[in-house]
Amino acid sequence: MKWSRQNPGWVMFGAMIGLLFFLWGMAIPLAAAPDPIGPAAKQFAEGARVTVWLTLISGSAGVLLGFIAGLGKLSSFLPLRWLCSFYVWLIRGTPLLLQILFVWLAVPQILPDSLQISDFACAAIALALNVGAYNTECVRAGILAVPQGQVEAARALGLSPLQTFLDIVLPQSMRVALPALANNLASLVKDSSLAYAISVVELTMVGYRVQAESYQPIPVFLTIASIYLILTTAFTTLTAALETQLDVGRKRQENN
Amino acid sequence: MESLQSGLKPIIEAREVCKRFGSFEALKGVNATFYEGQVTAIIGPSGSGKSTFLRTLNRLEAHDSGSILVDGIELNDDLKNLDAIRREVGMVFQSFNLFAHLSILRNVALAPMRVRKTPKAEAEAKALALLERVGLADQANKYPIQLSGGQQQRVAIARALAMDPKVLLFDEPTSALDPEMVNEVLAVMRELAYTGITMLVVTHEMGFAREVADRIIFFDRGAILEDCTPEQLFTQPAHERTKAFLSQVKHGF
Ligand SMILES: Nc1ncnc2c1ncn2[C@@H]1O[C@H](COP(=O)(O)OP(=O)(O)OP(=O)(O)O)[C@@H](O)[C@H]1O
Ligand SMILES: [Mg+2]
Repeated sequence: MKWSRQNPGWVMFGAMIGLLFFLWGMAIPLAAAPDPIGPAAKQFAEGARVTVWLTLISGSAGVLLGFIAGLGKLSSFLPLRWLCSFYVWLIRGTPLLLQILFVWLAVPQILPDSLQISDFACAAIALALNVGAYNTECVRAGILAVPQGQVEAARALGLSPLQTFLDIVLPQSMRVALPALANNLASLVKDSSLAYAISVVELTMVGYRVQAESYQPIPVFLTIASIYLILTTAFTTLTAALETQLDVGRKRQENN
Repeated sequence: MESLQSGLKPIIEAREVCKRFGSFEALKGVNATFYEGQVTAIIGPSGSGKSTFLRTLNRLEAHDSGSILVDGIELNDDLKNLDAIRREVGMVFQSFNLFAHLSILRNVALAPMRVRKTPKAEAEAKALALLERVGLADQANKYPIQLSGGQQQRVAIARALAMDPKVLLFDEPTSALDPEMVNEVLAVMRELAYTGITMLVVTHEMGFAREVADRIIFFDRGAILEDCTPEQLFTQPAHERTKAFLSQVKHGF
């Protein structure tokens, strides 16, 4: 109880993941739909699962990358700062589709034959690198939002740099960064559709195949769009809830 | 000053301390020895290096040359020395710098738990006793933002005391406060001064300096210009610049 009140951000994050798992089982209602949707319900569900998986895997890796590069950009070690800025500049300045194609076509040439990776993994890597660059800026902004005076106070009390980071900087920067990170995760749901270009059978690819078999693009794409809308609405609703929750938490503290 | 200090144990010895920011010399060879139990007021015009000097004493700023000994330990890049010194030297800031995401109790209990590995229950009991001492035990479960400036500064003092420091550094502890809150903070500091803890107080509160301090240091342009008793400084300042500063203070800024 106390934990959940003090960490509303993490509670909402947990809820978000719970919701995604719930959407996972959506083949059942879809199967009742008329042709051409009903017979392909399993395919739609499978596509949605791949999309959600892709989002979750690249999203988590992207958060990790964002943290590493965000901290790197604030490091006092110049080459590291330079490297992290370069990464953000490179990724944000090039199209995601190009990045996905690059990982898919170029990486197998670099890796030895014994280490070949699946199309799905290629897509996940490219998406993680992409969202990681956007997360970098959120993490950096979150850390910069923590007043330097509190860091000095912690250091003056004898806390080590690591303790200062974990106890003082991280929790407060998360309050600032979490809504933005959640937003990036929501865009990732849509961005993951570009994985169809490297033949990952995610939601958009499923839609393409089903309409190619049934010659009925309108109902198929309407269904695909609805599934995306449900997924992104779920994400954005939770993001909004997260933001108000953080605000409510603050107001509650003020009025106590 | 020597007569005043005979028989006292030195706790901070600063020798020829220099500090520059780029090409600007903020401290130009500062020499001063502070003794156990002494309350020293540090005054001087804005930009004269008072804060910089205080901050070199717990290495929030690293000095460029000279030496600083705290309780016999050399303050240098050796992290062991730094850890040891930061346990003995507490600091109170002008802008309080309480941890905004932690309750008042947690603010005070955190450092002993993390640095001294004091068990939580013990650290919180002690924190509560310290909050009692600064008159804020009833606010223990609130958050910093819910407290007035004066209350926040008293919490900051309790937080510094929780580490049982031998020395407390105050950098203009009342400058950010509304006038009606200045006295509640000065009252806590006055009470502390009588307990025998060593205090270095950068302040613009001349009344407080005169009443509570054993010694007063006048900083000017990165160096110590006068170092004497408050009585001496206020009645017969040795330098023209001190006189000018004092008359300015008297007539308000
Ligand atoms: N981090 C810094 N970088 C560059 N210059 C600095 C820095 N900190 C202090 N200075 C400069 O050093 C000089 C001394 O500053 P300091 O803060 O010690 O003055 P002060 O005596 O405390 O003044 P005040 O009464 O205004 O607080 C000032 O000219 C200031 O601009
Ligand atoms: Mg100052």
